[in-house]
Amino acid sequence: MTEFIVTLPSRGDGARGDWGPPPASLPPFVTDLRYGVYGPFDHLAEAGRAAEIVGFDGALAPFDPGGEESVVVTSGLLRASRWLRGVAGLHPGVATPVYAAKVSASLQRFSGGRLDWRLSVDLDPAVARAQGDFVEGLDRYARADEFLTIAKGVWHEESYTYEGRFFHVLAGGFQEPLSSRPFPRVHLTGTSTEALDLSARHADVHVFDLGDDLDALTADLRGRAAVHRRAVAAGLTLPVLAREDGEEAAAEAARRAAAGAPPSGLVGSYEDVAEVIGDFAARGVTTFVLQAVPHIEETYRLGENLLPLLARTGPAGAPGTAETPGTAGAPDTAGTPDRSREHAHAD
Amino acid sequence: MPIDIYWRIGTHGDQRSLRRRVASRGDWAPGEPGAITPGVRGGRGDGYSHLDHMADVARASELSGFVGGLLPSFPFTDDPWAAAASLARETTTYRFMIAYQPGFLHPVQAARMSASLQRVTGGRVVYNVISGGGGPPQLWWGDKVDHDDRYARTSEFLDVLKGVWDGGPFDYEGRFYRVEGAGLPGPLARQPFPEIYFSGSSPAAIRAAGRHADYYLSWLEPFEALAAKFAQVREHTEALGRAPRFAVRVDVLARETEEEAWDEIRRGWRHVDPARLRGPEATGDSVGWLRSSSFVGWPVTHYRELEAAPNVWGGFHLLRGGPAFGLVGSHAQVAARLDELIGIGVDAFILAGVPHLEEAYRVGERVLPLLRGHDLRDHSPISATRGTP
Repeated sequence: MTEFIVTLPSRGDGARGDWGPPPASLPPFVTDLRYGVYGPFDHLAEAGRAAEIVGFDGALAPFDPGGEESVVVTSGLLRASRWLRGVAGLHPGVATPVYAAKVSASLQRFSGGRLDWRLSVDLDPAVARAQGDFVEGLDRYARADEFLTIAKGVWHEESYTYEGRFFHVLAGGFQEPLSSRPFPRVHLTGTSTEALDLSARHADVHVFDLGDDLDALTADLRGRAAVHRRAVAAGLTLPVLAREDGEEAAAEAARRAAAGAPPSGLVGSYEDVAEVIGDFAARGVTTFVLQAVPHIEETYRLGENLLPLLARTGPAGAPGTAETPGTAGAPDTAGTPDRSREHAHAD
Repeated sequence: MPIDIYWRIGTHGDQRSLRRRVASRGDWAPGEPGAITPGVRGGRGDGYSHLDHMADVARASELSGFVGGLLPSFPFTDDPWAAAASLARETTTYRFMIAYQPGFLHPVQAARMSASLQRVTGGRVVYNVISGGGGPPQLWWGDKVDHDDRYARTSEFLDVLKGVWDGGPFDYEGRFYRVEGAGLPGPLARQPFPEIYFSGSSPAAIRAAGRHADYYLSWLEPFEALAAKFAQVREHTEALGRAPRFAVRVDVLARETEEEAWDEIRRGWRHVDPARLRGPEATGDSVGWLRSSSFVGWPVTHYRELEAAPNVWGGFHLLRGGPAFGLVGSHAQVAARLDELIGIGVDAFILAGVPHLEEAYRVGERVLPLLRGHDLRDHSPISATRGTP
């Protein structure tokens, strides 16, 4: 099944939220009842609601040390939604694996099993040190491995002991009902052999970037995962700027570039973008992490114009042919086209 | 200073009453006849979870006059951060008192989670900093640090958390934590710092409390013992130039008449395992637990033998999980005991009753309005400043 995930803002969205310049105020003679009533999370909640309403499968709250905290964002998102998966950015230095698993067990229970983890492994060293993280180089992968091993260990075993270099636990392990939900699906990233090896052991989805040598990397990852008798789904982060026709999209991209915005990634008509996504799907990508700003408008735009194209024509070879690892099929999706709902319903 | 009165929200289900120690609410006892298990209806998933019951308790206590709710944290409970972040947008004035052990989160992460939560709630986060009871549960969490060092770590943790709070850049090099150029990002850095309720009865705890506590929080003990404990904390913190306030965690069983209240206890007592009447057994290195088991002469044969002082009963742990001491009596008696506690210097309460939902209404509607509080506190700084802006 192909799934589509939107990326939530971690530092507001232009004048929305309080990260950018304040929005233009209304003239004094116009009644304005907003003052003091709304907070920065009202915008985030609206972005999450948009993603669910238009039919995305999930929303990613990125791990951003310079932004809003992703577990808090994801908790609110899951509570306010019914179907959407919440992908929480995490880093192995922020908590012990037992505690990260404990918090997540509750979020799985509260949401009917809709939590995913996206683990950041290597941060910029200065950013890492400001988070109190002085682990460097390949040790970061060894630590991530321990983190995931212990988190899964305490989740799945009632008495679990592990003595590692970075973490330990003695006769830990969750009792029912804390362990009643599946462990969060794990998203990992990176192109190094260490990153691929970590994914081979632990990831459910490995998310590549546009510009990565996708075919070689997915083949490599497939081989490494097979050693552990696992299958890892391929994902792709895809910044998109889609409009009714290519000309309009290009004009918008030029306008943004002139305003100093970061490059828009995949630019084109809805049909063009759908075709590119179809091509990626044909090459084995099953998870698309879309990035588009402004968040709410573009989420609606993609939901109304792009997702239907992908549902109708279906990316070649993709829909309904593969089960995403770590998810359970559900009977109520029978007969619906393409867009998987299998993990969504809070049961 | 006004008196802040919190309620407790059960993070591991609830019992129907104190009469039987059987889980009924939440999914800790699935399949019990009559058990309300959110999430299951006619054997099938219905989209609800225990969080929905917790939301009910939060709203009930918010409506009936409590300023907020304590969310406890134990190996078998749901997690307070997850619960607070999930419920943040569903209450209006209610404060979320998050119980947590500093060793499990990095302080920079804790700062960021707290600041984001302050932004969601408009500043309604309160901390209950606990440093762990030791023994197997501590190792269950993956924490090998021993008793006194846990308090040293707690102290460092709060130093770092406070250090990054205003945006930094903040450098720190301690025994447990090290950061370089740390600080909360822009909008997160402008939040009010959560009040700290600090628990711990040992000398190491009192040392750490002296530096960091806004409220020194204790389980209920017989009032003279509690007053002596407060005096010890006050003496220590005065030397540091600080003056923490005092809070007590109190279970209450209040009914129209005292007879009715004791009758509830009597009905619960019939089901207590006689082996437990020999005395409490310690599982870790908690000094608070040792203290609380020393106030009555074990073994006991009758429930009234656990009444260490009028209406102060030390057997709650036999009827439900949690600390031993609480108040049993008529609505008026319980209110009078709470007034006495205010009289010996208590500035905040965390009250609890089983079941938490219905008892929140009862205590909020029937007991709290009877409090006289400040009238009884003649020479305290509180009454001295009354009437000033």
